[in-house]
Amino acid sequence: MNPSGMQRTVVAIKKYARDWRWNRIAYLLILPALIGTAIVHILPMISSILISFRDLDIFSLQQWTKAPFIGLRNFIDGFNPVTTIGQRYWRSVLNVLIYGAVTIPVGYVIGLGVALLLNKKFVGRTLVRGIVLLPYILPDSVTYNVWRFMFQSRIGIVNKTLLALGLIQEPLVWLVGKYSMIAVIVASIWKGWPFGCLLLLAGLQTIPQEVIEAATIDGAGPWQRFRYVIFPYLKPVTKTLLLLNVIWNFNAFNQFFIMLGSDPGIQTDVPSVLIHRETFQNFHFGLGSAMSLILVILMMIVAAVYLRTLRVNKSMEE
Amino acid sequence: MLKKGVLLALMLATVLLIGVFSAAAAPKQIVFWAMPNAPDATHIPWVESVAKEFEAKTGYAVRFEVVGWDTAWTRITTAIATGEGADVFQVGTTWNPQFAATGGLSVIDINEFGGSKAFMKANLDSTTYKGKYYGIPWFAETRCLFVNVDMFREAGAKYPTTHDELITAGQKIAAKYGTGKGISLAGTNAWDLIHNWAIILWGNGGSLLTNDNKKAAFNSDAGVTAMKWYVSLLEKGIADKACAEYNQPQADAAFINGNVAMCYMGPWNIANIEQENPSLNYTIVEPPRGPKAKASFSGGSNLVLLNSSKNKEIGKEWIKFLLEKKRMVEYTQNLTHMLPATVNAYGDPYYASGVWKTFKSTLDYATAYSPLGVWGDIENAIVLEFKNILTTYVNGSYKSDTAKKALDAAADKVNSALTKEK
Repeated sequence: MNPSGMQRTVVAIKKYARDWRWNRIAYLLILPALIGTAIVHILPMISSILISFRDLDIFSLQQWTKAPFIGLRNFIDGFNPVTTIGQRYWRSVLNVLIYGAVTIPVGYVIGLGVALLLNKKFVGRTLVRGIVLLPYILPDSVTYNVWRFMFQSRIGIVNKTLLALGLIQEPLVWLVGKYSMIAVIVASIWKGWPFGCLLLLAGLQTIPQEVIEAATIDGAGPWQRFRYVIFPYLKPVTKTLLLLNVIWNFNAFNQFFIMLGSDPGIQTDVPSVLIHRETFQNFHFGLGSAMSLILVILMMIVAAVYLRTLRVNKSMEE
Repeated sequence: MLKKGVLLALMLATVLLIGVFSAAAAPKQIVFWAMPNAPDATHIPWVESVAKEFEAKTGYAVRFEVVGWDTAWTRITTAIATGEGADVFQVGTTWNPQFAATGGLSVIDINEFGGSKAFMKANLDSTTYKGKYYGIPWFAETRCLFVNVDMFREAGAKYPTTHDELITAGQKIAAKYGTGKGISLAGTNAWDLIHNWAIILWGNGGSLLTNDNKKAAFNSDAGVTAMKWYVSLLEKGIADKACAEYNQPQADAAFINGNVAMCYMGPWNIANIEQENPSLNYTIVEPPRGPKAKASFSGGSNLVLLNSSKNKEIGKEWIKFLLEKKRMVEYTQNLTHMLPATVNAYGDPYYASGVWKTFKSTLDYATAYSPLGVWGDIENAIVLEFKNILTTYVNGSYKSDTAKKALDAAADKVNSALTKEK
């Protein structure tokens, strides 16, 4: 190493030492969170990856490290569309996509509409904003159990109302078969739209009033103001909301499990419920881990595509 | 810097001392999990008072926790996997061999509990796995037909003694009170859906598995007939189409509330009727006989010890304490309304009277499932296809070959699962 190289190394070491002294309190404060994350998230994920290559079942539950290594068998069984479980997995992915394709846009439109109304000044606005949040702050267990009762065929208020209005001639069975997805979608939209409303309302409040006033002076009507001024300002919030909703919807569990039970049938099975059932009810831990792993990878792809799109958009704006 | 070091050392020492003293001061106790075998209002105080007696006798406290049937499987699985949770816990008879297969349950020397002759045979069999005992029978149950006396009288129907008579009685009730008022059935949300169908299967001369437990046998003609009979109750309007979405408690509630005239239920429902609708005029008859045999499901619950428990000896003492005749009779007679699984308590004259006579005589011919480690897979495969059949019916696409196709699909899965039984 020449003298100038050595000098540079010494300078770099000194810099690191200075940085360390400067930041060590910060590192120490971060450490508990890092340890916690490692114990709660990282280690279980690693063990889940290891389990996915093993035939871990009821007979090897207590000594999982000694469960037979079966390579990619769980992945082949779990994702082969010819096997029963493979069929169920891909159908569950399709089901959750259909579920998301309806709940996300409908929830967004309702949330946006209400946010626009709540952004106007009127007496009691704060109270109404609080009330609007009620569905979102209620626990899932309460909300979806109530919806389950409402959708019950014999005594549910949904059938009673539809019968009274003459829209159906006999009670429908909502919680089994072809109508069950509709029941879950309705309940999920009711539960989910206030969150979008909250974010969009926050977004609306960041729009400078002068910009809207300028558009009005320039002759823009309500629709044009919304289309060319308000909506572009809401784009960042919309994108964040979209990503969160896609991830949450893909992981949807509570609404399906509470309303339809652990095995709702092929028409309403979703990946999280299927994985839970295979892992914790059927004791197929290896298969369950393999399916979870693929779900995580799918989610990571979605997140990566989203983040890349954000970066591209940002660089174009710059 | 020195001050900081001293401060840290002091803090560490304090934490350690608190830990040491807490451990020393921790009461000697075992943890006991049981399912809601009776309404909480009576169940919890009874167990807690028995626990106090036990503590006075042994110096060990018992921390009692009621674990719902819907969450019990996951809780027990977690306890077995982690080696922590409860020292003694209740398991359903069909669960006992499955958990034994995990290695998570302690092997039991049945002689410590009075020997094999001290217990009802079907229940004792359910505690076995590969020739060893892994549990101690606690109480027994079987399914009988509960009938609403008033509805039967008003409809001019007689209590059914055969499958055909049940259809006739159901149709009379439906004609009098409306579609679906004949019987309530468990549907797609029932985790124990298989039990009700198994009664019909056995009545038709069928069996779930071959005698050597190596292959599925339920997709036979008897199985298909049994499944079609079950669906025919919906098709004929004897049962409400809404039953397809029921779990067992919903089906029970429809009878208990007086909405339907019949329901296959167990003895624990007597406590529910006493609490929810004491004025219900009902009686209990043996399950209607099938074309080939009288049949019912033999179930119940056992007490087991977690293999990793450090309090196994005291856990055994707690089980012996619960199994004493006085407590067994009190628990089953006044609280759970199940039947005791110990021979001496079962011989109590109380169980030879009233509706108990019906349960007792039914239990004499009731069938228990085979004690297999893969029983969960077997049950899940059958229930899955059963649910598919009901869903197909609700969707309006049920055909004459639906039952056979579904049972064949279930049989394939069961045969595959049976190859794993080691």
